[in-house]
Amino acid sequence: MSNDQVIVAEDLNKIYGKGGAKVFALQDVNVTIARGDFIAIIGPSGSGKSTFLNLLGCLDTPTSGKLLIDGLDVLNQTDNQLARIRREKIGFIFQKYNLIPTLTALENVELAMSFARVGIKEQAKRAKILLEMVDLSHRIDHKPSELSGGEQQRVAIARSLANNPSIILADEPTGNVDSRSGSKIMTILEEINKKGETVIIVTHDSNVAKRAKWVIQIRDGVVSGHGRG
Amino acid sequence: MAGDNLTIAIKNIKERKSRVILTLLGIAIGIMAIVSLMGLVEGMQQAVVGELSSLSDTIIVTTGEISASPMGGGFSDGAGGYFTERDLDSLERINGLESVNPVLFGRCIIKHNGELKQSSLLGVDPDRMAEIFGIDFLGLESGEFMQEGDQNKCIIGYNIAYEYFDNEIKTGSKIEINGKNFYVNGIYKKEGSGMSTQTDNNIHVTARDFKKITGQEDVSGIIIKVSDVNEVEGIATEIETLINENHGNEDFANAITMSSLLKSIQEVLTIIQIVLIAIAGISLVVASIGIMNTMLTSVMERTHEIGIMKAIGARNIDVMAIFIMEGILISIFGGLIGVILGFIGAQGFGNMSGGFMQGVPLVPIINVSTIIIAITVAMLVGVLSSLYPARKAAKMSPIEAVRYE
Repeated sequence: MSNDQVIVAEDLNKIYGKGGAKVFALQDVNVTIARGDFIAIIGPSGSGKSTFLNLLGCLDTPTSGKLLIDGLDVLNQTDNQLARIRREKIGFIFQKYNLIPTLTALENVELAMSFARVGIKEQAKRAKILLEMVDLSHRIDHKPSELSGGEQQRVAIARSLANNPSIILADEPTGNVDSRSGSKIMTILEEINKKGETVIIVTHDSNVAKRAKWVIQIRDGVVSGHGRG
Repeated sequence: MAGDNLTIAIKNIKERKSRVILTLLGIAIGIMAIVSLMGLVEGMQQAVVGELSSLSDTIIVTTGEISASPMGGGFSDGAGGYFTERDLDSLERINGLESVNPVLFGRCIIKHNGELKQSSLLGVDPDRMAEIFGIDFLGLESGEFMQEGDQNKCIIGYNIAYEYFDNEIKTGSKIEINGKNFYVNGIYKKEGSGMSTQTDNNIHVTARDFKKITGQEDVSGIIIKVSDVNEVEGIATEIETLINENHGNEDFANAITMSSLLKSIQEVLTIIQIVLIAIAGISLVVASIGIMNTMLTSVMERTHEIGIMKAIGARNIDVMAIFIMEGILISIFGGLIGVILGFIGAQGFGNMSGGFMQGVPLVPIINVSTIIIAITVAMLVGVLSSLYPARKAAKMSPIEAVRYE
């Protein structure tokens, strides 16, 4: 794996169930993603694209095959080593934002840093910069319930960047927001990509896919095609 | 900021106030029971030490076994034998004795307003009576102790005055003891079940009157005062050895000092304390199950949140720490409330009981070490009862937890 390859998946399988009840969520997936790429993974519902993203984000582990994240083989890692990869290499953005409801916008961003043992002052300083970057300086003390969907997703983007990850994974980041907010979120992700971050988006929105540099199409758990966005 | 687990734990507790308050009350009640019981028993011990230390220079010598417990005891009625003139002469050979007072013990018939009753009768030198029976927690309810030279006067126990006869006996009344007229010079306070010296059901007369009305001169007890308190234990042993030698019986005499009496009382009180605290401990076990239940519910409700934290990089230990911190916070708050309630409860019980020994108010003593023990116990309960729920939370699969709605 060369230094400019941030993700390498070889013969990747994710199988649920046993014996005759086996379901291949992903089958023999071979993908290489270069550092700084902007990838859109598309496919119909239930095609396995979210499963693929969860494997890339180390939220789930493959049944077989090889998956290297920034050079680390995911298959041979312990729970805490996987947590470390998630903390240091990956920033996750969910369709439903997934902010902690009891914490403010600022605290949600700081929380990710607290797991990385960043000093308290540094947490606050960096969280404010990130929230300013996503145009939410005026909403830092608001809880998720006091923010719109678009604003919550921008807090989630700020949180994903908290620990300077190599890869940003976004699962339908515009799926729960209106088109204007969706466009703003995409613009922010493009800016993040321009700064050198690898951004991988799962989407079924063709307009979102068009803004990516590369598109990977998955159907029935198999990579059925890829090409320029 | 959410820079530490404490902040997250506090925010979670605030979100679930009513449930937390109920859980916290369980701990508070357990700690209250422990603090108030420890305080009350400590108060009892201090009261006993305070009262008995004034008699630390006194040795009570009896024949046979003397029962010396907070629940009762006193002089033998001669079942174990009597002391002889030789015994009293032997005592004169011992250095360091300030005074030797033989105590005569027997039974008598009392007549009051035509009614006849039996009672125990004690004969003591009048000049020593006030010293022996006038200590704070006994003492007289009315009247006064006899003086040297007084004749045909008696001090009667509380029960004899108020319960033995249809008509109560008052100080200044006349009663017949073994057919002789006696003037009631005083009435003892009710002794109850405190430090018994057998006053409630006794009549005390001078040694001379005792011999006159019973015709009995056998000494069943000796009260000895030493000049140097530090030598009291050594002298007690010497007395026992000498008298036992006189009677050729190793177990004939029993010389009790207040410190040995105190020791046995403290032993009994310590056992009472352990038993009471163990009972209070049961409520803490129940409280810890309450915490565990609250934490398990909280873990279940926050499964999605746990998934999010894991997705953004939380280690298993980070998740565990958040839940254990919550358990500790609940139990510390509960512990603090329990300590305050314990103070109030112990004080209230002390006031209500009207005194551990008659005349001596039971003042609970809650010292710093009791508070530290109580809070530490509360914290331990918090940690232990949240360990299982915290571990359950930490072991969740991130993908399953994050998908949980």
